[in-house]
Amino acid sequence: MKTILAWLLWLWMCLVLYGAFLYARPAMGFAAGQSSRIVFFHVPMAWVSMIAFLAAAVWSARYLLGGRRAEHDRAAAVAIQLGLLFGVLATVTGAMWARIEWGAFWNWDPRQTSITLSLLFYAAYLALRSAVEDAETRGRLSAVYALLGVVITPFLYFIVPRITFSLHPEPLVNADGKIDMDSEMRQVLFASFLGFTALFFWMHNLQCRLQALADRKSAHFYE
Amino acid sequence: MGNGGIEWVVAVNLVIWTGLFIYLLRLGKKLRKLEKEP
Repeated sequence: MKTILAWLLWLWMCLVLYGAFLYARPAMGFAAGQSSRIVFFHVPMAWVSMIAFLAAAVWSARYLLGGRRAEHDRAAAVAIQLGLLFGVLATVTGAMWARIEWGAFWNWDPRQTSITLSLLFYAAYLALRSAVEDAETRGRLSAVYALLGVVITPFLYFIVPRITFSLHPEPLVNADGKIDMDSEMRQVLFASFLGFTALFFWMHNLQCRLQALADRKSAHFYE
Repeated sequence: MGNGGIEWVVAVNLVIWTGLFIYLLRLGKKLRKLEKEP
């Protein structure tokens, strides 16, 4: 990413911080109203983890259909690593908020359980990769596994929490298909979604290049 | 939490985010340098 774009993103995130803490009013109906501000970080992190897992599936499909290029396999693996990072951050921030609102860090709420299952599924992807030595076989197996995630991820992120009773506040888009949130909160939340998504793609680019250099170095080492 | 408390939270967040951006920018610069090496 060009330096100027990186600083623009920094400025954007500073505005998100200002919006999250000083512009948006605390949401109504919470035991500790200020705790609702975590929504501006917790929800975009969960969103980015889902984007990362879906992006990994796209790169995996490109790997399988587009001539088995190593950079597509690498891009899928890096997307899953970052998806796990953002997913863990979303789970930790959610647990912190649950302690304040529900009295315990872990409540076996459907959303808590479904994101944990999703993270375990993708942690197994990394275990699978590290278990296969041959690059071609590893790439093929990992790509098929990541494509299976396309079925599992939306089910765990969107369907399970909506068909079971949940302690969680209503989803962003509620059962009536409406966004029940005041306009300041909505503006800040969407700005945060955008900022976190850009941050993910920037980190993805850096990590892919780092991995490519590491692969190049190890190829020289074995020559 | 009063307003004073919130301002501290903003300040700490700002330091963390700025640190992350500086780290990523430095990493990008280092990668560009390494990619140019034969």
